Amino acid sequence: MLIEQAAYANRWRRVSPQAKASLALAGLVAAFAAATPEAALRVAFLSGLITCIGAGVSGWLYLRVATPALGFLALSCLNLLIAVDSSFAWRWAPEALPEIAALAGRSLAALAALLGLVLTTPLADLIGLLRRLRCPAALLDLMVLCYRMLFVFSQAVRDTRTAQQARLGYATTRHGLRSLGYLTANLAVQVWQRSHALHLAALARNGDGALRFLAPHFAHAGSDTALAMLAGFLLILLARLWV
Amino acid sequence: MHIMEGFLPVEHALGWSLASAPFVAWGVHSMHRQLQTRPEQRMLLGISAAFVFVLSALKLPSVTGSCSHPTGVGLGALLFGPLAMVPVGLVVLLFQALLLAHGGVTTLGANLFSLAIVGPFVATALFRLGRRFGLPLAGCVFTAACLGDLSTYLTTSIQLAWAFPDPAGGFFASLAKFGGIFAITQIPLAISEGLLTVLVVNALARFNAEELKRLPLFAQQGGGA
Repeated sequence: MLIEQAAYANRWRRVSPQAKASLALAGLVAAFAAATPEAALRVAFLSGLITCIGAGVSGWLYLRVATPALGFLALSCLNLLIAVDSSFAWRWAPEALPEIAALAGRSLAALAALLGLVLTTPLADLIGLLRRLRCPAALLDLMVLCYRMLFVFSQAVRDTRTAQQARLGYATTRHGLRSLGYLTANLAVQVWQRSHALHLAALARNGDGALRFLAPHFAHAGSDTALAMLAGFLLILLARLWV
Repeated sequence: MHIMEGFLPVEHALGWSLASAPFVAWGVHSMHRQLQTRPEQRMLLGISAAFVFVLSALKLPSVTGSCSHPTGVGLGALLFGPLAMVPVGLVVLLFQALLLAHGGVTTLGANLFSLAIVGPFVATALFRLGRRFGLPLAGCVFTAACLGDLSTYLTTSIQLAWAFPDPAGGFFASLAKFGGIFAITQIPLAISEGLLTVLVVNALARFNAEELKRLPLFAQQGGGA
């Protein structure tokens, strides 16, 4: 996962997740508060610049992560450019362009804010932040277990697929569907087997309640958050004032 | 189909989040109660979320010859129940937004409503209805997975049509437009996902009949699909 790689290998790795989340939240507010589509585009550009130059995330990686979402946005905008009348005949609708421009600007700015957070903050830190924000413990346990197990399952999928491919399991569409069915059924059974094994392992360590973790310590968390909030406030102000 | 970050107007994003909130509260409360009586379910639900996340990343050959990703809506609902799918779906959608930039935080409520609420509840209701009328298990599994998938896309079409009504034809023209575009890709995909789910249940019945019998929806069935 490209996002995880960047999240662990950027300059802001040791910056408090609270500060980065504050900046991302301000970016999202700025995306929705932007006075014009141009202002929203400038917010998107500025957010991208902060992520790439400030946190040292590679521009190439940033583009690779953003490309699927940008493709979806382009298709959606094209879709909105088509109007259908009451007799269901379609035509181009150039009159919808201002609305589409506003939508595209807002989506790009919001996407840039989200990427700014996820490319600089590992998911484990974000879960820690949610714990501090008093998210329900049962939901947090779900997140922690899901995060840890999805890499185990990804490895199981890779290994099983390789074994199936070596036996021509994906040679035709029919074979492919059947192999995928076996693979999914095998994974489904592993859900019970692995959960039972984990439960026994937890019981062996007297773990019969919510999962407990040491919270990572971030130096300068207070000053980082204050700085991020100031930067976020400026971003919102610029979004409102830029025309 | 996930609605991307920032795509919905703020009032729609908030509205769908509010609409999803009672289901999330109900799902989390039910999960919390379940964990008090059966603590082993904690691990099961966490691993189920990872399973659904990985399932949604698998490439599924579509009947049109193209490739796409299964939603896992029908299979998840049949294996874990629709109520468990709400918190599981919330975690999966949040992780997809944070790890893959797929979907978004502002559109989480709307995506949750279509993928983790409407889809699983429709799939479960259709499965139960089919079994009540004595239909074969394979037919029930296929219908539940296929129509559960389609109901998800219909809900997404409604969400988009509501947010972006057509300037000429209004909401219904916009719904026909979004629904028509989704139908080209999603009907073949839903059929493929229905077939895949039948194969999964068949494989479970053949190799892991005991595990299958432990599931509430399959408790009375026993045999293969």
